[in-house]
Amino acid sequence: MLMREGQSLRTIPAIAMAGIFLVLGGCATYSQSFRAVERNLLKNDPTGALQALEKQPRSSRDQFLYVCNKAMLLRMLGKFKQSNEEIKKAKAIVQKYSAISVSEQTSSFIINDATRTYIGSPVEQIMLNVYAALNYLQMNDLNGARVEILQEDIRLRALMQDDPDSPLSVDPFARYLSGIIYEDLGEWSDAMIAYRKAYQAYQKHAALYGIAIPQQLKRSLIRMADKVGLYNERRKYEQEFDLHLANLQKGIQNTSELVFIFNNGLAPIKRESSVQVIEPKSGHMIRISLPYYEKRNTPVAYARLYLQSVRPHLKNVPKLVTKTEKVEDISSLEIETLKSQMAAITARALARAVAKDKLSDEASQRNGLAGLIVNIAGVLTERADTRSWLTLPAQIQCARLKAPAGLYSAHVELLDHNNNIVLRRNLGKIKLTTGHNDYLSFRWTSIEATTRN
Amino acid sequence: MLIRKFKLAALAIFIILAVTACATQVQRVAVNKDIDLSGAWNDTDSRMVSEAMIKDMLDRPWFRNYARKHNRQPAVIVGRIRNLSDEHINVRTFVSDIERAMINSGQINFVASSNQRKEIRSERKDQDINASESTRKAMGQEMGADFMLKGSINTIVDMEGKTQLRYYQIDLNLISLANNRMVWLGQKKIKKLIKNSRLRF
Repeated sequence: MLMREGQSLRTIPAIAMAGIFLVLGGCATYSQSFRAVERNLLKNDPTGALQALEKQPRSSRDQFLYVCNKAMLLRMLGKFKQSNEEIKKAKAIVQKYSAISVSEQTSSFIINDATRTYIGSPVEQIMLNVYAALNYLQMNDLNGARVEILQEDIRLRALMQDDPDSPLSVDPFARYLSGIIYEDLGEWSDAMIAYRKAYQAYQKHAALYGIAIPQQLKRSLIRMADKVGLYNERRKYEQEFDLHLANLQKGIQNTSELVFIFNNGLAPIKRESSVQVIEPKSGHMIRISLPYYEKRNTPVAYARLYLQSVRPHLKNVPKLVTKTEKVEDISSLEIETLKSQMAAITARALARAVAKDKLSDEASQRNGLAGLIVNIAGVLTERADTRSWLTLPAQIQCARLKAPAGLYSAHVELLDHNNNIVLRRNLGKIKLTTGHNDYLSFRWTSIEATTRN
Repeated sequence: MLIRKFKLAALAIFIILAVTACATQVQRVAVNKDIDLSGAWNDTDSRMVSEAMIKDMLDRPWFRNYARKHNRQPAVIVGRIRNLSDEHINVRTFVSDIERAMINSGQINFVASSNQRKEIRSERKDQDINASESTRKAMGQEMGADFMLKGSINTIVDMEGKTQLRYYQIDLNLISLANNRMVWLGQKKIKKLIKNSRLRF
């Protein structure tokens, strides 16, 4: 095709625009670029994962994810203080970029959704406070953890204001953890309120994706209702759960409590699903890309924690054992959250397809080649926003164990759905103290599926 | 020609503005200047609260009564001040602001904290062995505190959309070490209305 001089000049803005499209839009989705980090996580190697994360190219738009992943990997390495420093940065990003950006909205309208600064899904934002609180607890800083649960409360209240009817506006584990922390601080009435809110949240979430109400929460509700003198409420819970306080009082006699947190697997990963059609009238190609979640299944169903006293005269005393229960199903929460956002994401993708087609049309009217280039660029840049916090676990499991104060050696067994042992790991020595709870956590990141191209 | 020159000048101004906007700027400001960035608890709050509360504490009858009865200034120690707010407030700087306000008032004898005392006692022990007779400080001559100052920082947060009302309540109690009597209860409240922008560039 020959171009006249005037035409070739007019083509330049169209080609430049196509170039801008390509530069801003990028080609690989976020989840695809995460393979190196994930490969190390599959080997349960957080050090290698951290090194891979540092090498990963990142844009300022994805800074939230970089700091969140770094925080999680540092936590896995037992560097709780540094982990909280990264979480602090993530919170600052959320605060700074919560306002709607005019320029980013425009670019997301003409290029793709991933051109916006990522500030996390509501679940991920709540997990910032949850993991910061857990980090403080493992550093024996109860007051620091208390600050985090108060911030979490503000975040949950804001979610409730935005969408009061959504079950996703209440987070069961965030409330349950608040109850544990208030109880540990001796603030009984606040603990009672938090346990009640957790119970209500678990009921709502059970209806949505079938999470069971943890037995440990049922016991906490009865114990706390008794402690604050709400005897009618205690009886109501006893009847409802078919649990009786007489069985529980034995446990209260013990002086120390261990809270064991087992972070199981990896959160689901977002993939892209695309549809391409040719518009018959103009002959332009139209592409619509939408994200969907794919679960990264873990073979581990639950963990068993064993404590053996290291005192020589107690060596023959049977080991204390406890089994973890699922307290937060991050996989289901993320999937449900995306489902609730899909209508808006689809509407934006459709509007973008129309806008890109219109741009191609206008370029074609000036010059056929320019129209083709703009059309190709529009199709290539149409990518789904697959960004999410990929180092989060699929589930948080928890166990609470009452034991006499003292020094114990701890080991954990991970079991699959058929109760076969998948892994046995020594967790070293732990000291249980009187007065306050002790907190211990374990993370297992091996999963069945791996990241695809 | 004129238009072209104007365009060039406009472009140059734009580039200069763009470059200077990106550069980090540092400006020294007076320590006592009130600057609020995020609306969170800051040095200004810490300073204002400690000064106002200690002034209130010294204006109350307990102080005059004590001075009249014992014919000396009371000795005070700062105990635990709990952060019950939703912010990671550095309580240590608040405690040192309170200590400074008390010492600078000149009306109170101030006793070192338990950690500081431990260090001083160890130094005194060391002096017992190594210092000369004339400079050695004897054990058992410490000034015991008459009162302990304890307290808490609390927040209540109310919000609607991007607007947040932060209400801080700081409670300080002065308790007699002799008989656990609470001689003064001070309260200071700060209310902040924070409006976050809905839009950004």
